[in-house]
Formats: sequence, C-alpha cells, structure tokens
Amino acid sequence: MTHAVSIKGLSKRFGRTQALHEVSFEVPSRSIFGLLGPNGAGKTTLFSLTANFLKASAGTVEVLGIDTRYISRLQGRLSILPQDAEFQRNVPILDQLVFFRRLAGRTKQQAHEEVLHTLDMVGLQAVAKRRVSSLSHGMIKRLGVAQAFLGHPEVILLDEPTSGLDPANARQVRDLVRQLQERATILVSSHNLAEIQDLCDHVAILDHGRLVLAGSVDAITRSRRECHLGLSRALQNGELERLLALPGLRSIEPTSAATGRSGHPLRSVEYLVKLDLSAAGIDQDTVIAALLRTLLDLGITPRKLTEGRSLESQFLEVTGHPPQFTEQT
Amino acid sequence: MNPKTLNARHIWLIGLHWGRHAVRGGAGLVYLMIALVFGLSVAHMVIMPVEQLMTAQQREMGTKDPEIIRGTIVAVGQPILRFVLGLRSMEDLTRENDVPERSKAQSTAGGDTARADRWTNFLLEKRPALLSLIFLVLVFGMPFAISFLAFNQVTGDIQSHGLRYLLLRTERGNIYFGRFLGTAAFSTAVMAVLIATITLYLGLRIRLYPAGALAGWALHGFLVLAILMLPYIAVCSILSASVDSPFLSLVLAKLVIGGVLLFSILGGLKWETMKLVRYALPWGWQNHLLHPDPSHWLGAALACVLYTGVFLLLGYARFETRDL
Repeated sequence: MTHAVSIKGLSKRFGRTQALHEVSFEVPSRSIFGLLGPNGAGKTTLFSLTANFLKASAGTVEVLGIDTRYISRLQGRLSILPQDAEFQRNVPILDQLVFFRRLAGRTKQQAHEEVLHTLDMVGLQAVAKRRVSSLSHGMIKRLGVAQAFLGHPEVILLDEPTSGLDPANARQVRDLVRQLQERATILVSSHNLAEIQDLCDHVAILDHGRLVLAGSVDAITRSRRECHLGLSRALQNGELERLLALPGLRSIEPTSAATGRSGHPLRSVEYLVKLDLSAAGIDQDTVIAALLRTLLDLGITPRKLTEGRSLESQFLEVTGHPPQFTEQT
Repeated sequence: MNPKTLNARHIWLIGLHWGRHAVRGGAGLVYLMIALVFGLSVAHMVIMPVEQLMTAQQREMGTKDPEIIRGTIVAVGQPILRFVLGLRSMEDLTRENDVPERSKAQSTAGGDTARADRWTNFLLEKRPALLSLIFLVLVFGMPFAISFLAFNQVTGDIQSHGLRYLLLRTERGNIYFGRFLGTAAFSTAVMAVLIATITLYLGLRIRLYPAGALAGWALHGFLVLAILMLPYIAVCSILSASVDSPFLSLVLAKLVIGGVLLFSILGGLKWETMKLVRYALPWGWQNHLLHPDPSHWLGAALACVLYTGVFLLLGYARFETRDL
C-alpha cells in the first residue's frame, strides 16, 4: 500500500511549549484518516505543519512523496479546511472562491462554473453573492469545506469539518467526504469519536504532542477481542453459565441496567463480552456464531452486536481522559 | 528565497484582488478620506490667499493682473521654499528679513545660495508656483498618511489566519509582492485623483498659468508622489509581515516614519551627524524629486526605488520564514 502522507520525527516547539514531540506515522492512499486527541494535543499544529503554515522544529512531512517545505510543488494537489481561519468578511463568497480558482489557472468563466458547482454541493449556491459577514457560523463552515473541495485535490486536510454544524449539515459533509474518498486521501480531525469511527478507516491518537496510537480502525477496535452485545432481556444466572461454557468465551458483564429510571424494562440490555482465543482452532467468528445460536436457543433476541471495543473506550485507555472532556464543541 | 517560485500572474491577480477590495476592507477607505482631506486642505490653504488677492484686485482695479499676482506668489513663497528645501535655517530667514540689503549681498556671493535661488526660482517662476508649493507640502505630509493604507498588508490576515486559504494555492512571495503591488496601485490611484482635482481647479478657476505648463508639472508631481510612496509602503510591508496585530503594525509604522525624521531633526540640533539618520528613509532625498536638475530628480527617484527594493527584500525574508 502506498502512502499519501508520511510524517517522520515531527516536532514543533512554541517558546517553552513542546506542541509536538517526534510524531511519526503514515497515511495510506485513498484512506479517510482520523486524527484524535484531547484539546491541545497538537492536532491543529500537525495539520498546520503538514500544510507548511508553520515551520517544523524537527522532522519532515511528505505529501504525495513531496517534502512540504517545497509546498509550491503541491499546488492544486493538497487542500485544507483550516480550523480557525477567517475569510475576508466584506467580500462576496463567489468573488473569493473565483479568485482561488483563478490562481489555479482557470479563466473567469471556468472558475465561475466550478465554484457554483462546488457551492451547490454544500448547499450554498443560493448565497453565492452574499458577503461572508452575512453568513451564519454553519454556512461559513460549509464555505470552508467548499473551498477545500474546490478543484481536484489528491489530499484534503479537514480540521474539525463538522464542528458547529447541525446534524443534517454534519451528515451532508460526512457524505461528501465519503464520496471524495474515491479520488482523494482525506485526513479528518474531529471531536466526535463516533463520527471518526463511522467515517474513517484509519486513525491516529495524539496526547500532549505525542503519538499514542495509530493504525486501521478495524485493527485497533477488533484487536481487543471484545464485543458489545445488546439483548432483548437480561440474562438469568443459568443462562449466563450456559453461555460461559461455550469455548472461547472468557466473561460476560452487564454494562447497562435491565430497567430504566421509571422501572420499565429497557428495549436492549447491554453486555460486554470478552473472548479468549488462545486455544488452537478457535477464531472470533466461530465463537460469536456459537454465542448468537445459544442466545436464540434461549429465546433471547440479540438487538445489537459490535465487534471489538469502541474507539471511545480505546481513546479513554490510551489518553486517560474521557472524550467528552477533551474537545470543545 | 527563490525568485524562480515567484509567479507574475499570481502577483498580478493578488494585487488586483487586494487593490479592488482594499476599500471594502476599511483601510483603503480611511486612506482615501485622509489623503483627500489632507491634500485638498493643503491646496485650499495655498490657493485661498491667491483667490482673495484676485478678488481684491478685481474690486479695486476692476480687472485682474496675473503678472502682479504671480509676482506676489513668488515674493511670499521664496523664503518659505528656501526653508522647506533646507537651504536656509529659520535664523537665516529672520536675519534676511531684518537686514535685507546685507542679505542680498550674501545671496549673490555664496555658491550655495546661488544654487538655492536657482532651485526656488525654478519652482516658483519656471513652473506653476502654486502647484510647486502644494507638491512640496504633499511630499512632506503624504508619507505620514500612507501608513493608514499600508499598515495592514498582511498582518490582519496573519492574525485571523485568513492567509491559510491562500498558502496552498500560491507562494508566500506572490502573496507578499502581490499585496505590495495592490497597495501601491491603490495609493497611485488616490494620488492621481488628488492631483487631477487640484490641477483642474487651478486650470479652470484660477487661470494663472498656461494649460500646457500646468498639465506637465502636474504629471511630474503625480509621478513624484507615486514613486515617493513606494519606499514608505515597503517599510510598512516589513512591519506588517513582522507583527501579528494590525494596530501594533500601524503604531510602529507611525513611529518609524515620523520617528526617523524627528530623531534626525532633534538629534541634529545637538550632534551634526545625527542629521544623517534621515537617510534611513527617503527623508533626506525626497525634495530632490522636485529639483530643476534632471540628475538630481532622477537620482532621487532611483534612491526611492533602491530603498523600496531593500525594504521589500527584508520584509519578504521575514514573511517567507515565519509561522503563518
């Protein structure tokens, strides 16, 4: 597998603050790569170094095999949605985006058409002639996404693309990102761990400027040999013993109560199932299939099955912070 | 710094975009107002006494005599010009007024004085004197006004990170030089409007000078002001690329442009060598842009271009290597 982005020994110091410390990882081509970390972990700094907005104290970043210190060689091939950058407030958005495309060598007419098409993708065509100062926060965010999608960039960096968006718009942006995966490698940072798990196929977790975990989402979550099970009712003692007698099952622990606050039974009772795959001839799929068969025999309907640990649990384990306290929305 | 990475088309597009939207950004509008108010006020102060004189002449004599009016302008303007051009100190002028005969004798004896008289005669008698007086004041005052336009060439966008939308689309050098070009073009357009307004008024209303002479000298004055603004805009470019706050950039621009002159004048009162400080900016050369001798004004224009080049390179070196 080739790598679209290769980061080697990257460090950045702001005065006395070490924002990044020897971070190294690679982003596979045509992947959607999630970057996670608590506030101040260095995610935005990493994006800024990748785009050469900031100069690295040490280390290198290569995008599409080109050292980003020579960023001009990547013009048109790399784009970014910066987290906190402002557009010119008193200039119509159409003028600003047309100007960007004209820098890419387009004629006024070509630039105009491309921009309107991209604005249409993010639902902003109707406000193309309005000034940025008259747009809502969500619209400005979508405008940022639109400028990142302009042209045909091969690598796109999206720094918190859905923060500040309502659920419908956030979903629209996620769908656009998925569509773009066919022709681009996308790096996304987000405060929403479920979103990252849903959207990304690879992930890296930063904490205090250090890389604490990187790899494919599948490998990270499955490697824990656990699964989350949602059942139609709570397990009784005899039922629990019968399940634990299955080969490859180590433990089954409830993670939610059987009834809600009002005393009514919940639609789904959650369990964490831990597997023991050390014995020869046992694999995860066989064990889970046996588990589901036994549950159906017992008259219990499995409502949900998630293999591996959630990214949220993984995040908590490697950073020591619950994710809800790690990012400002 | 690699000149090969500079792209003339990008510089042109960025300059055009910046110049067009400078007014919308606020700074351009502020500069336009300040430049016009200052320039037209100067013109008013110079032209008003002449208009009063013409009215009085009309009332008393029933007709206007341009020769008498031109002679009066020369008589009043000569000592002022000598002082402004640095050819006489205030003490000299006072002494000349007190002892005119002795002064006259001195003025014919000294070579410096002869050169001074040649310069003042050129400005007052061989060229439309009213325009010369206005140009001299504008040459002195406009460097202070230009910082209102040029202080925020990149610093506001550094602070708001707005440049980040551009940085992956073009080189830093193209942004830096493009913004300079846009600022210079805007300044030049404002100068053109100002000079054209004043010249039209002098030509259509005052009618003391032939149209050809007025137009020619107006064009020279416009070029002088246009080229003189370049090094001052370039100084502002350095400051704008070096700090993250537009307000700080404006304050520093004022301090540097005014401070060099003030330091040179006040320091020069105590130590003669301190007068050389004015050459850190074009203050020491700029009046020569209105000199009768082409070698002087061409030399002064060349000096302005050299100052601009040096300041631009210093600012670019900073902009190229800094975090944005």
